[in-house]
Amino acid sequence: MKANCLLLALPLFLFACGQSQNNQNVAVPVSQPSDEPAPAPAAPPAEMFVGLFEAVEYNENKDIAYTNKITMAIQSLENGLLKGYSVVAGNIRPFEGNFTEKGPIVQATVREPGDDKYDGVFTFKLNRDSQTVEGTWKSNDRKLGVTKRAYKLAKRVFHYDPNIEMPKDIEYQTLYTDYKTQERHPSDDEAEFITENAAKYNASKTLLLKEDAENMYKGDLEVIRNSIYARHGYSFKNRRMRYVFDYVDWYMPVSTDVSKELTEIELKNIDLIKRYEQHAARYYDSFGR
Amino acid sequence: MIGVIRLYSIALLRDNDNMKLFYGALLIVYGFFCWLMLGITRQYLPISLDVAFLRIKQDYIGFWHYRVAFFIHVFTAIGTLAAGFTQFSRPILRRYPRLHRFAGWVYVSDVLLLAGPSGLVIGFYANGGWTSQVGFCLLALLWILFTALAVQRIRSGDVQAHRNWMIRSFALTLSAITLRAWKYILVAMFAPRPMDVYRIIAWLGWVLNLAIAEWLIYRRVPAALTAQDGTNT
Repeated sequence: MKANCLLLALPLFLFACGQSQNNQNVAVPVSQPSDEPAPAPAAPPAEMFVGLFEAVEYNENKDIAYTNKITMAIQSLENGLLKGYSVVAGNIRPFEGNFTEKGPIVQATVREPGDDKYDGVFTFKLNRDSQTVEGTWKSNDRKLGVTKRAYKLAKRVFHYDPNIEMPKDIEYQTLYTDYKTQERHPSDDEAEFITENAAKYNASKTLLLKEDAENMYKGDLEVIRNSIYARHGYSFKNRRMRYVFDYVDWYMPVSTDVSKELTEIELKNIDLIKRYEQHAARYYDSFGR
Repeated sequence: MIGVIRLYSIALLRDNDNMKLFYGALLIVYGFFCWLMLGITRQYLPISLDVAFLRIKQDYIGFWHYRVAFFIHVFTAIGTLAAGFTQFSRPILRRYPRLHRFAGWVYVSDVLLLAGPSGLVIGFYANGGWTSQVGFCLLALLWILFTALAVQRIRSGDVQAHRNWMIRSFALTLSAITLRAWKYILVAMFAPRPMDVYRIIAWLGWVLNLAIAEWLIYRRVPAALTAQDGTNT
């Protein structure tokens, strides 16, 4: 078999243009940031209290979340009826019940509607002097992993601040992995730690370039991306991010949907970071690419 | 493909037992890695600009020449793995010289016209900055060069030189497998940052192969020389 034509073929007719500029071509709708969280019940501005919601009575054999950050919002105190809602672990639940007022102390027992598995009854004291809410919560369903929680919450006004930075000590947090629901082998996640890079960029303020994201571990990318949602007061349903942000002082869960409040920079950064996260998840420790 | 493997196994029976076992094992390993490579190629079917590796190449996917080069490379480079692997078997070369020439023709045209030039283009846009860009571009250039030299040598009848250049060429072809294997090993052992791994394998993936190729070539030289001396005296 002859292969004459081949010899002439040493094609080096290569590259046309060499401009490698950095234009992320992502089309994003421009949305205005709003300072107002979007609570489930339409309501006048509520008085909010935030803090840790800690398990007191629980079943050790169940895989429970001992501590979650909770925001309690009190919307109205009228005619002996207190109305409000709580935001915790990606769940917004309204509550209402009777209260009595004695000096600076408001004592109340309020119920959640009861149509959610995790509904229960809050009993608390609202102290007008110290601006705190302190009390307990008992689940309706006594078979839940956690049947009683305690809390001492401090009053705080939520507002979105794009300039707020991730704390430098975030690298000491560990990423929770639920091995039972994880499809992949547990060893796949060994490289998923948080490093100091997780606090390197504020993705609500700075438009990230691919060079900023491409050499980062997946865990760091995940934290940077989710810090955008955290600034907007997103309440994380998944434990992995909840456990990280619950310990960030400025973080306050107030909403379960912040998608309409994301700024243009944030949307672009989310798209970019997510690409590298997915790439890392699929290819970082595998043979392929 | 099945036919080729059968031919190969028939040819193996002629070799001595130890070598037979060794080549058989090698063939299985090779087949396994080619299967993995096929899996990587299949990710891009049906053709999409927002899948797999391309998800992080969005800066360049707008360039038509990048798109063309990328898909040429993805779909043709695997052909060199398939066409190249029978070429170093002496029994096949002796008993089926036409097969050798045909597979060689496929291999050479693939490298010189399709997989090589397209590799050079995408190497130019490699992730990870100049370290990996230079690594991948050099790989593509040497691949084209070695393959072209091998063709030129056999045209002038220099079988030994043809063989040597083809060993080098195929060593670079195998970088498709070795660079990914190195990545797997490095990540499993040291968990480096993603782009650091990439910069390392852009070089480690083929330089070591080439070193092994040189060793294979020069290992034979003393034997060849003695044989020649024997005939001369």
